[in-house]
Amino acid sequence: MSNKSKTKSSDVVAYSEVAMRNNSAVVEYCRTSMAALSGCTAGMLGFTGLYGAAFYIFAVTGLWGMLLLKAGSNWQEYFVSRKALLTNGFFGQLFTYVLCWTFIYGMVHVY
Amino acid sequence: MSDLLVDSQIRGWVFLPIVVITFLVGIVRHYISILLASQKKIELQQLQDSQVILRSRLLRENSRFIPRSSFLMRRHFFNNEENGYLTQKRPPVTQNMMTDPTMMTDMLKGNVTNVLPMIIIGGWINWMFSGFITTRVPFPLTLRFKPMLQRGIELMHLDASWVSSASWYFLNVFGLRSIYALVLGENNGADQARQMQDQMSGAAMAMPPDPKVAFKAEWEALEIIDHQWGLQEVENQIVYPLNSC
Amino acid sequence: MNDLSNLSWSEARDLLRTWRDDNDRRSEEVLQLWKSVLEYNLNKLGGEKFSVLEQVCLAALDCYQIPTVDYCIKQLSNEFPSSLRVKKYYAMRLEAQECYDDALTVLDSLIKKDETNNAPRKRKISILRAQGKNVEAIKELTEYLKIFMSDIEGWQELSDLYIAEQDYNKAAFCVEELILHNPHNHLLHQRYADIRYTQGGYDNVELARGYYCQALKLNQNNLRALYGVYLTSSSIAASPKCTAQKKKEMLKLVDWALLEIKKRYSVVKDTFTDNNIEERLSVLQIS
Repeated sequence: MSNKSKTKSSDVVAYSEVAMRNNSAVVEYCRTSMAALSGCTAGMLGFTGLYGAAFYIFAVTGLWGMLLLKAGSNWQEYFVSRKALLTNGFFGQLFTYVLCWTFIYGMVHVY
Repeated sequence: MSDLLVDSQIRGWVFLPIVVITFLVGIVRHYISILLASQKKIELQQLQDSQVILRSRLLRENSRFIPRSSFLMRRHFFNNEENGYLTQKRPPVTQNMMTDPTMMTDMLKGNVTNVLPMIIIGGWINWMFSGFITTRVPFPLTLRFKPMLQRGIELMHLDASWVSSASWYFLNVFGLRSIYALVLGENNGADQARQMQDQMSGAAMAMPPDPKVAFKAEWEALEIIDHQWGLQEVENQIVYPLNSC
Repeated sequence: MNDLSNLSWSEARDLLRTWRDDNDRRSEEVLQLWKSVLEYNLNKLGGEKFSVLEQVCLAALDCYQIPTVDYCIKQLSNEFPSSLRVKKYYAMRLEAQECYDDALTVLDSLIKKDETNNAPRKRKISILRAQGKNVEAIKELTEYLKIFMSDIEGWQELSDLYIAEQDYNKAAFCVEELILHNPHNHLLHQRYADIRYTQGGYDNVELARGYYCQALKLNQNNLRALYGVYLTSSSIAASPKCTAQKKKEMLKLVDWALLEIKKRYSVVKDTFTDNNIEERLSVLQIS
């Protein structure tokens, strides 16, 4: 997360390919962990239906907020766009979330 | 809260084992594919082709940093009618691929690590744990999902959110892939779903892509580029900002 | 650098790893670490052992410590008996002892075994260069670059060779290739400008001015580029081909560059007199 991914010049912005890939890999890692953990939490708390979906959205935005907090005021140094940071992999991670949710929910509440 | 009481023995002997087995099979598959991976032998020609493509792509991207004459010179090298690299005639390469024994072993290895475990484990799970209701998804679903989630159980009046054991296995197969990415790192061999997609998109994926197609695309892209020298006004850009500060 | 010998083996390992990752050569320090710490703790390194051995081997080659080189190669080839990479180190050892013919036979056999491996080919070229056969080296290197077209090191070496042979047009071509591969490195732009300025002629100097400016834009602390801007623009202004409009612009640029240079110097040294700097610049001028 600490890689500086671009160097500034007056009008063109040059991105460092390697650093960018590294950053996105780290973010992807965070996101998967977040999906798995929040899925487990949702299952344990016994959320059903829309509450679970709302919890997922809450978790995604929470992670986004934390990432931006970590990046600080100069987030442009690490990410190209804040919006893409929020929306990327939203549905991909949803599957992980649902799986963990179903799993823990089944373990705790069904039987 | 559930209208159906499920025996808690099912949790210990069906529900959990399926998750654990699917996960462990993925891990084992990863290591087997590492074990079986063979260093791919690349032809010199192939190497040269890929380097040419790389270089011409760089030329397209960064052409504004070199003078116009230099750009034209390079484009001529790639694109000229008689003997440009991208316009040269190549004998088609596809037919000798099937006869190449290394290709065949590669394909066999791919099948051994991908398709075979899929069939064996899937079949075994179906046989071993068939007919159980394992869990309930914590959200309501429409009846359309019944065949997807209740494979192996033909009960008309069962609510759609109950999941059968076979379907639970498939849910795991597809859902665990990002967990694998977490545990094993990117590009792991455990990712069944992606490999299945690869196989579905045709056997052509296994073969090296025909350079002709790539060359043609590159030729076109290079041909339409309009060279702009990016350094024309650069002195103005440096003088004023520096002066002001 | 006395503290190097007092490090524990894990600190030494970490230090070597950092150098390896940063492509930092530091051969003498590496050898010192090896001799004082790591040689006796080699087996503690685990899987990293062989990377360290490689690094030490290269360092020992640099410092001409043939016994150490032999030790490393022996360790490596015990572990990887058929590795081409280890054989390459053997060839490099022969090369270091100036047994060029033997080294060449080894390298040739390596190339035969794996045609797509570019390392032995590069070693062959470097042998030619070590022997001072620049022309042959150029020939080999162009053959090499026909296949491995996106090898940055190769292009860099070729541009150096062409500069040594004073074939500036071709050297410029190589540097252009480098710029295409890495357009944000100010040193490459400066290099290109240097070559064009050396070639001389109105158009080339004009080109050089553009690239000096670009280098300066990418890195504002590049003093050499600043000098370059001064020299090129004053030479353009002095040229008879220059239009009056252009001349005015150039003179403005000359003044600006001179001012900047003075500013930089005044930061370092307060006692820098006016005429002094202009005198020095005029020495650099190519007429």
